[in-house]
Amino acid sequence: MTSSDNPIGSVYISHRSIASIASQSALESYGIVGLASKNLASGLSQVLTKDPVLGVDVFFDDTSVSIDLYIIVEYGTRIKSVADNVSEFVKYQIERTTGLTVKQVNVHVRGLRISNTD
Amino acid sequence: MYVASESAIPINVALYWIKYMINQKTHMEPTLTSQSSSYNTINGQDFKKLVEASLRWLKANQQLVNSLNVFPVPDGDTGTNMLLTMQAAYNEIANSEETNIGKVAKDVAQGALMGARGNSGVILSQIWRGFARVLDNLPEMDAQIFSRALSESRNTAYKGVVRPVEGTILTVIKDISLAVETYVTRSSDLVEILDVAVKTADESVKYTPELLPILKTAGVVDSGGKGLFFLFEGMQRLIQKLPLDEGAVVIKDLTSIKFAETLEVVEDGQDVEVVIDFTPNDKLDLETFYNDLGKIGTSIQVGEGDGLYRMHIHTETAKQDEPEVLIKSMGKISKIYKEDLRDQMKRIEEKKKELEIKEITPGTIAVVVVSPGPGLSQIFVSQGAAAIVTGGQTMNPSIEEILKSFEDLPTDKVIILPNNKNVILAANSAKALSVKNVAVIPTRNVSQGISAILRWNPDGDFQQIVDDMNDSLDEADCGEITTATRSVEINGVEVEEGKIIGLLNGKLVFSSSSVEETCLGLLEKTDMEMRERITLFYGANITEEEVTTISEKIKEKYPDHEIELHNGGQPHYQLIISIE
Repeated sequence: MTSSDNPIGSVYISHRSIASIASQSALESYGIVGLASKNLASGLSQVLTKDPVLGVDVFFDDTSVSIDLYIIVEYGTRIKSVADNVSEFVKYQIERTTGLTVKQVNVHVRGLRISNTD
Repeated sequence: MYVASESAIPINVALYWIKYMINQKTHMEPTLTSQSSSYNTINGQDFKKLVEASLRWLKANQQLVNSLNVFPVPDGDTGTNMLLTMQAAYNEIANSEETNIGKVAKDVAQGALMGARGNSGVILSQIWRGFARVLDNLPEMDAQIFSRALSESRNTAYKGVVRPVEGTILTVIKDISLAVETYVTRSSDLVEILDVAVKTADESVKYTPELLPILKTAGVVDSGGKGLFFLFEGMQRLIQKLPLDEGAVVIKDLTSIKFAETLEVVEDGQDVEVVIDFTPNDKLDLETFYNDLGKIGTSIQVGEGDGLYRMHIHTETAKQDEPEVLIKSMGKISKIYKEDLRDQMKRIEEKKKELEIKEITPGTIAVVVVSPGPGLSQIFVSQGAAAIVTGGQTMNPSIEEILKSFEDLPTDKVIILPNNKNVILAANSAKALSVKNVAVIPTRNVSQGISAILRWNPDGDFQQIVDDMNDSLDEADCGEITTATRSVEINGVEVEEGKIIGLLNGKLVFSSSSVEETCLGLLEKTDMEMRERITLFYGANITEEEVTTISEKIKEKYPDHEIELHNGGQPHYQLIISIE
């Protein structure tokens, strides 16, 4: 939970809220065909409950946020470019909507989806 | 594998093409050398030329695509990213003699994949990938195959994303493929089909703001879609034998075309610069006017303001009167200006030499400054900068340029002042590549740079000075005054294209129709009681008199503040204001 103060009170933004923004942005990002869980056990329950924060970890320190993304990339795209784009877009969206500073976006490519092998 | 079906060629189409081929004249541009008598099919070598044309046309319009971002000051890079992707794609086939179109397309797709840069580059690589998949190993492509390839481009592109955002390059490829799918049932002429594709792309791009609200707010069309349009239009232009290296006709603001236009290179044989102000009798048909001028010379620019036009051209000595004759035939000339380009070059060279950088004492701390204009460079040098890298908004220096500027300095203690938020990253990369002890002070603008360099002491403790400089970042406000490149609403400030906008520490705070008003408005938004000095650096696009008037107005309003005026010579920004 992170907080910032304004003259008439405090604003708290939860991990889950930020994770939702990150996951929505990631899914709009080109080349990403899905998010994957970090491990099987938590993944199974998340998939079953359609958890919006599947594949996203959020960490706070005092002033900034770090994000870990676990993604599945379309086979045949340049993975590096896709990863660069998604981290930039996620950082931009979180900073724009929450006003927090994003220190890091770590992208873990968990797998590739193969639609066409060419 | 896909097998091409035989399609009958309508006799009238074939006749049309025979006629067309006969009418062709030899030309400097590469032309399609189809062995057959029509463009009902094309082979690998023709395809290579089309790809090259796409690349060249995108290159000519790269800046236009870059300028389509969602902020009123140009800092986008979509055009560059798409161009680099296309360049990588073309490099794969540049020396290829292959006539099998399937193989050529496969190489293009491979190159695009390896060179994909940025979001639009990745999507473009997918478009090529789908295209190449249909061509597979075919020797030639006909209309049916072209249509199927475009559909596969669309499908492949859409497969790459869970939630496609409409109003982007994806929508444009979708519209093109749908239009071609429909049209291919009526015609098997590839040229006609390409025309349909270009027309559809154009319409589709124009419609993108209706689909994506952020584009509408910023008053732009989608940049990736526009880039894709240029790729198709480049192919069309090759077939129509139109030039591919001069970008689209862009009407500029009259004041942006200076009588003494600074230039870096003079093309061989182009010795005279001619600038003519005129009022046309009838409404000016730009396309024709531009084509007519194209026959006379190069570096053509046309500007307009209140019905008065200004034309700028470089031409050879023998043709120096032709622009005048041409324009006389279509309107009233109010002013003609001619200058020998060689003289102009010489003057520029001399001006460059004036910037004398003192050599630093070996082993001391060197400051490397990224400066947007000659006047500002001068100021930084006078404060002790050991090296200057030219660059700033819309002309970001490369990592290599920054690295080169300090690699040879006789010291291993280097401080870089990037002076622009877009340059900080490049400066950091240069730092990572260098073996020297480099510190980057994240100065986001020139005023922060100047406050920082004032903390410099060649013999001081390196870490201490770096800390001092970092502390200095908050001690100055930076105002920037520039012309909005499009209509937009940001931070509740409504801006129309061509209006003068004021940015305070990078945020849009004021807009009006005059530099003076915007400048005063911007100062009002600043906490002036905390500050005691205002320094104005005026740019290449404003005169000294105008600035003097403005500074007098400021003096009237803030009599207790110290005001300084310097010729900064920076492009784009009429004023950079440092408020300390």
